[in-house]
Amino acid sequence: MALLHVENLGIHFGPPEDPVRAVDGISFEMAAGETMALVGESGSGKSVTALALTRLLASPPARYVSGRIEFEGRDVLRLPERELRALRGSGIAYVFQEPSSSLNPVFTIGYQIREAIDLHRPEIRDVTGEIVRALDTVGIREPEKRLNDYPHQLSGGMQQRVMIAMALACRPRLLVADEPTTALDVTIQKQIMDLLKALKQQSNMAILLITHNFGLVADFADRVLVMFQGRIVESGPTAEVLRNPQHLYTRALIECVPKLGQKQRRLKVIDYAGIN
Amino acid sequence: MTTYLIRRILLLVPTLLGITLLTFLLVREAPGNIALMKGAGGENGSRAMTAEQREAMIKLYGLDKDPFTAYAEWIGRLTRLDLGDSWVDHRSVVAKIGERIGLTASLAGSALLISYLVAIPLGVIAAIKRGQVTDRAISFTVFVLYSIPSFAAALLLILLVAGGDYLNLLPMYGTNSINASEMGRFEWLWDRIQHMILPVICLTYGSLSYISRYARVSMLEALAQDFIRTARAKGLPERLVILHHALRNALIPIITIFALELPVLISGAVIIEEIFSLPGMGQLMFASLEARDNPTIMGITVFVSILTLLGYLLADILYVVVDPRIRYE
Amino acid sequence: MNQTNFVHESYAQRIWRRFRAEPFARNGLWTILVLFAVAALAPFLANSHAIIRVADGRVTFPIFPSLEPIEWRFLLYVPLAGLAWLFRRRLFARPLGGATFLLALVILIEVWLVFHHVVNDPTNDRDRPAAFKLMPLVPFSPVETASEPFLPPSWTHPCGTDSTGRDIAARMLHGARTSLSIGFVAQSIALSIGVTLGSLAGYYRSWPDIAICRLIEIMDCFPPLLLILVAVSLFESQNNMFYIMAVIGLTTWTGMARLVRGEFLRLSGLPFTLAAQAIGAGDLRVIVRHILPNALGPILVAGTFGVASTILLESSLSFLGFGMQAPTPSWGDILGESRLYIDFAWWLAFFPGLAILITIMSYNFVGEGLRDAVDPRLRIK
Repeated sequence: MALLHVENLGIHFGPPEDPVRAVDGISFEMAAGETMALVGESGSGKSVTALALTRLLASPPARYVSGRIEFEGRDVLRLPERELRALRGSGIAYVFQEPSSSLNPVFTIGYQIREAIDLHRPEIRDVTGEIVRALDTVGIREPEKRLNDYPHQLSGGMQQRVMIAMALACRPRLLVADEPTTALDVTIQKQIMDLLKALKQQSNMAILLITHNFGLVADFADRVLVMFQGRIVESGPTAEVLRNPQHLYTRALIECVPKLGQKQRRLKVIDYAGIN
Repeated sequence: MTTYLIRRILLLVPTLLGITLLTFLLVREAPGNIALMKGAGGENGSRAMTAEQREAMIKLYGLDKDPFTAYAEWIGRLTRLDLGDSWVDHRSVVAKIGERIGLTASLAGSALLISYLVAIPLGVIAAIKRGQVTDRAISFTVFVLYSIPSFAAALLLILLVAGGDYLNLLPMYGTNSINASEMGRFEWLWDRIQHMILPVICLTYGSLSYISRYARVSMLEALAQDFIRTARAKGLPERLVILHHALRNALIPIITIFALELPVLISGAVIIEEIFSLPGMGQLMFASLEARDNPTIMGITVFVSILTLLGYLLADILYVVVDPRIRYE
Repeated sequence: MNQTNFVHESYAQRIWRRFRAEPFARNGLWTILVLFAVAALAPFLANSHAIIRVADGRVTFPIFPSLEPIEWRFLLYVPLAGLAWLFRRRLFARPLGGATFLLALVILIEVWLVFHHVVNDPTNDRDRPAAFKLMPLVPFSPVETASEPFLPPSWTHPCGTDSTGRDIAARMLHGARTSLSIGFVAQSIALSIGVTLGSLAGYYRSWPDIAICRLIEIMDCFPPLLLILVAVSLFESQNNMFYIMAVIGLTTWTGMARLVRGEFLRLSGLPFTLAAQAIGAGDLRVIVRHILPNALGPILVAGTFGVASTILLESSLSFLGFGMQAPTPSWGDILGESRLYIDFAWWLAFFPGLAILITIMSYNFVGEGLRDAVDPRLRIK
């Protein structure tokens, strides 16, 4: 049985008579432990899809107009509030794009991780030890001392590690990383991606990486989905899609990644008229 | 933190000098003084002075010296808490303020406390129910309350519930009934509370509506932040997301605006104490203004403004305490 | 889908369009305009003299000779301002010409008012027989003893009478002038001081900023009502309306100064300011022509809220008996007089209180609407 099964999902915004079709009938599956990338430009609907997986997208304004989302056999869109909350964090956990604003500035990082553990793993006695271990796993040095730090006392890269630690603390079966490196410096980006890769190898947690950058996908994801204007236009094993992209848009996206050893005066601009 | 405190307190000095200088010059240079100095009474007889009073006034304001020497001497006396003697009953101004401050402080204090206790839940509810009927009803009510002058509200409340033609539920004037001295302790306390209900209501609702509007906006801002999404993604119940994660952030600006309410509350106390015949500092101020009791007027003005300044200081310190992002080292 | 037409729209037009879309704000503006009209026409709405009287074969207009200078001012300046606004394009085609023309008119009116002799006629036209007479809506003057004291509201006296038998409705209609004009003028004074000091502090920074910020802090330590009470009572010029306006204006400018300073700090760092400076524009030109117009929205919003709080301050002053001692009262005065009789004469407090409430609320609604229109980010919907 698939871990996650999305079928004909449609999410609209705006007036019903003239809706914005943010997600326009997409279907995909993820197996346990699988790493998949969802690629597309801003506004293609990939973040909306990610948030919809646990109904984090508030409705209204969003409207879930069609389809179903099944996680471990349970229909997320029809789950009662209580079970939904149990799913959030322990079933599906998130790492968001902007670590500096995604952490609550008035609580210590230790407290914010503790909240997640208290909620989903009440059986744990030594919570502090568990938090230290979580921070240690994501490569934060001297985690005992960092516990009582406030988010603003950490660098952007460190904040994102804390976010990842918080997500992992509840042992989720699926980690959704929504543009986890976009807000970070290039060198830090690499560190975070390396961390995610290491985590992928250590556990059998599935990872859904959401990105607009094909460059990140190549040596990370097993499979890739390409989203364009609310639809999935291409999907397949990463190597295959990269080697032989079928859709014009995929080709354009791949060409947007600057390559080493190639002289390129300008970045490619996507020619939408040619795609549609 | 200590360095910040020291710097912040040192910055008070020029402001303190400014406050005192302004008050001093205002009262000293008032045309009334000059006329009195020439020995001529005002248009009403009560304002003519005895030689003794004139002597005291010349000493108090240094009217025979240049303004700045006089100011320096006055400041010297101020640091020794010597604000001169009242012209009305020749008692020291400090003592007169001392016996009045308690009532005003308890009035303003309870008004501020009640404002916060009611305004924050109102603001939070309005923010959660944003755009719905509940929000609209709260926002509109608060808006109307904000526009009602406190003295008009006081008069109408007296008319309606305090012995007017309609209900006679609450006493109209004063701090206690005439027979208060014969009452037992609890009876006395209940009597005092009954006398304070209307004044506190009239003093409260203005601040209440201001703070609740502020709380609503602050809460809306907090709810729109990314970390709220993180809290939900963790699986926290909505109650905790709102009352813990959002409110904790929204409270920071809400708490620190209490200092801005201080001058407003004191202004309000002048009116409310006058209407309800409460012997507080506002009423003393009012009586002194009518009697042209310049030492008392000046004393109260300086006292209140320094108190407000300390309120601003407290607000700044509180801000540092409640917001972990701000650390002045 | 509808075809969207992109029509050029100026900043002011955009604010106006958004503002009109808010029903509360729109109605608030209408209420204020009506109140100003009432203030301007008060002598014709409540007067013991007839508007037109035909007797002994002669047609007379008994109201006009009895008009006070302030009434003439309202009567002439409010329509003049309206006309100037209507014909602003033609009038200010050459800015200097328009301003000179308006100034000449104002000087002409003021000079005429200096030599104008007010006829004080204590009689009334109510009982005087005439072939035809058109009485004002409320046929009582605000100062005359019209009936018995303490009459509750009735058809003759829609708002009742006070302790000396004066008609409350007439007093309120005339009181509108005091309340509205003090609110407007005092806030204009506060606005001028606040904008001037705020822009100096925000533009020049360094020591002017430090000095002005200290001054603001000092002023903010005084409870506004207390400072005004001290100033008014010590300098005892209570008969002078302009003195009260000036005192209120001089004590309430700090909020505006803070706001303008903040706007200037923000705007003077932006490229368009640098561009203006780079082409050699003088400081005054950069401040007035380049930065100030960009800060106008927030200033307008704060000014509108300011008028509301100024009206509140003035009525508090009058209520406490420290306002103007003019023969025609402000709403605060009427409320103040009602205090002694509050246990039975509810109408003495109710109507002026309602008038103040409606006025303040209208200004606040307009302020709120303007704020949403100026900065849609803050829109609370």
